[in-house]
Amino acid sequence: MATEESTSVMDDYETLISTTDVELLKRAWRNEKSAPEILQFEASLVQRIKEQIELAEQNVEMFEADNIDPLTVSLYQMDLDRTQFLLRSYLRVRLQKIEKYLFYILKTDESLNRLSRQEQMFARRCTDDLGSHLDETVLAKLPDNYQSILKQSITSEEDDMVPVPRLDTFVICKAKQYLSGLDFEPEYSMEITEMERDLLTFVCYKFVKKPLENGKIDLV
Amino acid sequence: MYARKGYELVKDLASGEKGQLQPFNEDLFNQVVDQCTQHYLELQALIRKMQEESVDVRETRNADHYGALIHHLSLIRNKRCLMAYVHNRAEIIQNFAWKVGLELLELPEEIQEKLSSSEKNYFGKHSAALQSYMAEVGIDLNVDMVPPKDPYIKVRVLDDMGEGILLSDKTANLARHSMHFLKRTDAEQYIARGLMEELTG
Repeated sequence: MATEESTSVMDDYETLISTTDVELLKRAWRNEKSAPEILQFEASLVQRIKEQIELAEQNVEMFEADNIDPLTVSLYQMDLDRTQFLLRSYLRVRLQKIEKYLFYILKTDESLNRLSRQEQMFARRCTDDLGSHLDETVLAKLPDNYQSILKQSITSEEDDMVPVPRLDTFVICKAKQYLSGLDFEPEYSMEITEMERDLLTFVCYKFVKKPLENGKIDLV
Repeated sequence: MYARKGYELVKDLASGEKGQLQPFNEDLFNQVVDQCTQHYLELQALIRKMQEESVDVRETRNADHYGALIHHLSLIRNKRCLMAYVHNRAEIIQNFAWKVGLELLELPEEIQEKLSSSEKNYFGKHSAALQSYMAEVGIDLNVDMVPPKDPYIKVRVLDDMGEGILLSDKTANLARHSMHFLKRTDAEQYIARGLMEELTG
């Protein structure tokens, strides 16, 4: 009886811990790091984390002023440092992805809408800068019909000069719940039919793109 | 063989160590650009020839058509090589902003020498874009590059910083070359300004 109780307490504790904002941010950060394309910006989560960081900073300052045991303060400080690192790294990983797939992101609305307002501004500015750099160095020196930055020549019907994120790379993921065929895109129904909960799976990114966007799996 | 120079240019890029920049290969680069112009002239000449013979340029599949096609494809290949060369270099340059510093002057001279003038210009503009993003968001992103392990770190003072600098929990005599065990948050600003270095290992 006693052990049963303590496991249920532990379970409560686990679920509580796994739903804190820091844990959510860690999840978003991991997903962002492993996904080949840019994911939806977690605007409200980032906002909450920013506020929590501010609060924690104030707390640490207050503790220092109150002469609380330095060890305790340094533990709080360490926790704060970790959260700050997570936030910075999350934003950084996103910017680096934007840098990498600039032209693709700007020409596909789906990707562009996943960016925060500041990221969109950054992306636009970078595209102008990189565009004019490429123009000046290469394109202006080529014959007229070959000067497009997005197309190989004017005879190309599609934009065939744009680096595109490779959605067929493999990722490691874990389902948060049992996934049936309905959770996946119908077009991949031949490749993937189900996924067990909590089972580490090595899979092609595009097959799990939909459940990832719906928050049903996490990338590891 | 057509488009071989373009291939050499890309090879030049690929043979370098990852993340390291080779000097901008102006000579080879210009040769590839010249080849493009040459291909285009020959392409136009062939099309003119077909027009003079009054054959339908769009529909006819004769020797001249395929000749022109070869020139067209070679030109495209060269363009792709040129763009890949500049674009991949631009990616390395973007990385400098993260790993080395946001100002051109902060880049070591060995790196500056390897940049073309347009690349220097690009680095400046890109850093400015990054800086304005950070200002908008209100978070410095080019600190905290590695996950923090310990709130305290070991540092060595690199420059004379004067005595009695007030740190958050003590005052220290930060004489040049002396080593200290400081709070990371205290030390970070001095490390960023190059007055201290972190001792690891």
